[in-house]
Amino acid sequence: MQISDVIIELFRGNVPASLSLKQWSDTIRVLRYQQCLARIGWRLKHLGVDISTLPQYVQNHFKNAEIIARKQFHQVHYEAAELQKLLQPYATHLLFLKGAAYSLTENACVGSGRTYSDIDLLVDRNSITVIEKELAVHGFFAEDLDEYDQKYYREWSHEIPPLRHGSRGTVLDVHHNLLPIISGRAPDINMFFQHIQATQDGYSVFKPAAMFLHSTIHLFLNEEIKHGFRDLTDLYLIIEQYQSDAFWRELVELAISTNFAVELCLALRYTNKILGQAIPASVTEELQRFLPSKVALSYLDFIFLRILKPTHPVFGNWQDNLAQLLLLVRGHYLKMPLTILIKHLLWKSGRQITTALLGSSFFDKVEDEAKQKQ
Amino acid sequence: MAFECRYLHLPPFCFEIRTDLPSVLTNIQLIYADAIQHSSKYTDYFLTIKSGSGLRKFIRPQVRFLADQQEPFKPINSDCGFALLEWGMNWCVATQEMRFVIVHAAVLEKDGKAVLFPAPPGSGKSTLTAWLAFNGWRLLSDEMALIQPGTQTVVPFVRPICLKNNSITLAKTWFPTARFSSIAKNTHKGDVIHLSPPTLSWQQSSVPAQIVAIVFPKYDKDQTLTITQLNQAQSFSALAENAFNFSLGGQAGFETIVQLVEKAQCFEASYNSVAELAEFLSEDVLPYANI
Repeated sequence: MQISDVIIELFRGNVPASLSLKQWSDTIRVLRYQQCLARIGWRLKHLGVDISTLPQYVQNHFKNAEIIARKQFHQVHYEAAELQKLLQPYATHLLFLKGAAYSLTENACVGSGRTYSDIDLLVDRNSITVIEKELAVHGFFAEDLDEYDQKYYREWSHEIPPLRHGSRGTVLDVHHNLLPIISGRAPDINMFFQHIQATQDGYSVFKPAAMFLHSTIHLFLNEEIKHGFRDLTDLYLIIEQYQSDAFWRELVELAISTNFAVELCLALRYTNKILGQAIPASVTEELQRFLPSKVALSYLDFIFLRILKPTHPVFGNWQDNLAQLLLLVRGHYLKMPLTILIKHLLWKSGRQITTALLGSSFFDKVEDEAKQKQ
Repeated sequence: MAFECRYLHLPPFCFEIRTDLPSVLTNIQLIYADAIQHSSKYTDYFLTIKSGSGLRKFIRPQVRFLADQQEPFKPINSDCGFALLEWGMNWCVATQEMRFVIVHAAVLEKDGKAVLFPAPPGSGKSTLTAWLAFNGWRLLSDEMALIQPGTQTVVPFVRPICLKNNSITLAKTWFPTARFSSIAKNTHKGDVIHLSPPTLSWQQSSVPAQIVAIVFPKYDKDQTLTITQLNQAQSFSALAENAFNFSLGGQAGFETIVQLVEKAQCFEASYNSVAELAEFLSEDVLPYANI
């Protein structure tokens, strides 16, 4: 049995009989790489599996991951309260997105055991400048970027450069849209602002349908997917917990009106194909006309049936590597006009060639070396 | 050199080490000897220690550490490969092993009674550790005390003792027959060497002990042994400061530390002779501690 199949079975609440410790080691390794260790531990308990029957080795790692995830859960509540207090006066809209939103939504399964590396915020574009200043006053600063990356963020992107808190180390991504402006795919963000709910503690997050669509956009228009399986299980868990006639209606309507119906088709296709999620026939039927052609689908399947499985570079083959390359090309192509894409790729590959020749730390700043020596 | 793979069984963990650096392999062999295996039933951490890429293989060669696919540190001078591996192993445990309350401290034991020595770098902790380990005490850990939450039980994590700068010559004079790694020069901690603890430590690497005392050592060459008893509030804050994952463990971490300072004796010890400090511990602390 392949490790990716073992993990999918675990997600469904089935512990394959007679797994060797070696197989468990590989499983834990892949789950850690996919940032899914705490999630699978939670999932098993949630589905009634008695963790104490698993080998001690496995229990140890689930336990470690659970503690780290719990800490992050508390941390994000703390940070959210701070951010809300700081930024509320300056922002008409102040939304928490993705991982942070999952944690802040009470009783959300998608937030249980979910770990992430930064907090994503969505605010109105015209309040970005004042918000960035206000955050700087309170210790959030952008890391040094070269001129090219600055230009990339300021002119083409849908977010400002990541901000890191000086002492706590918290990283914030402040967005004003869901996709880069230059992609031509950035939606009218006001259409998403109509799908907001307040959590028990008073934080703004997307309602489940819009939350699902945003995660879908993020997953299927990206040029690089590091935690494909985690992101796919996000989608699965949102559907599992929130599906209702109203949910599906809202989701399909929002996807069509914001021009993301194709991405929605893909999301439902792969949660079904990989995780076996049941999609109502009426929804499939309604989206039928947006489904890519058979040829296009077999190409997309080649990519996403590999990328979205619980993979790990050590267990990958040449086809998995090819899928990653194709994803990179597709993601860039979807997000940048061709002339800019060519410039962008030349710039980035120039840097890659330099690091290949001169070592991976060639571009690290001189001050860092000085700091290391101290 | 092509990549070679070794498994280090260092209870309570097992590390897989892949390396293409002969010097790292030699040092592993020297320091870990009997803890090395060529296969393992399970692995907790998959580590790679390898030479830098590109021209960096030839010009001012560097070495890189990877924990699975993650690279937490910047590459350093290739002579320091083994030290980088040691720090990398510490990093894995300190960032992942939350099921223990982890205190930045050396742990030594006599008669099943363990003394915790939490201390910042420069306090002479490792020199003291080395001396005790070779003079009738059993070393459980040089850097990290792994404490079972809610108990005073400390689990050994036997690893080499990391000695810096001046203590390198001192230790080599003290223990001429002991097993030392090669010297890693000019690291961020200065010159560094690793010393393999005595056989007893390795043999009993799965035998836990009960913490009965916490001693905050402070080496001062002009100061004869001065012991100051700490009250519980002082001990608590001093210990919490040295706990890696104090906040992570939340309630459990907090309660463990509270219970420790309530049950163990806590001292600050200024000393200029390790033998004197050891005598004080053996004669005035251990006999009166109940476990």
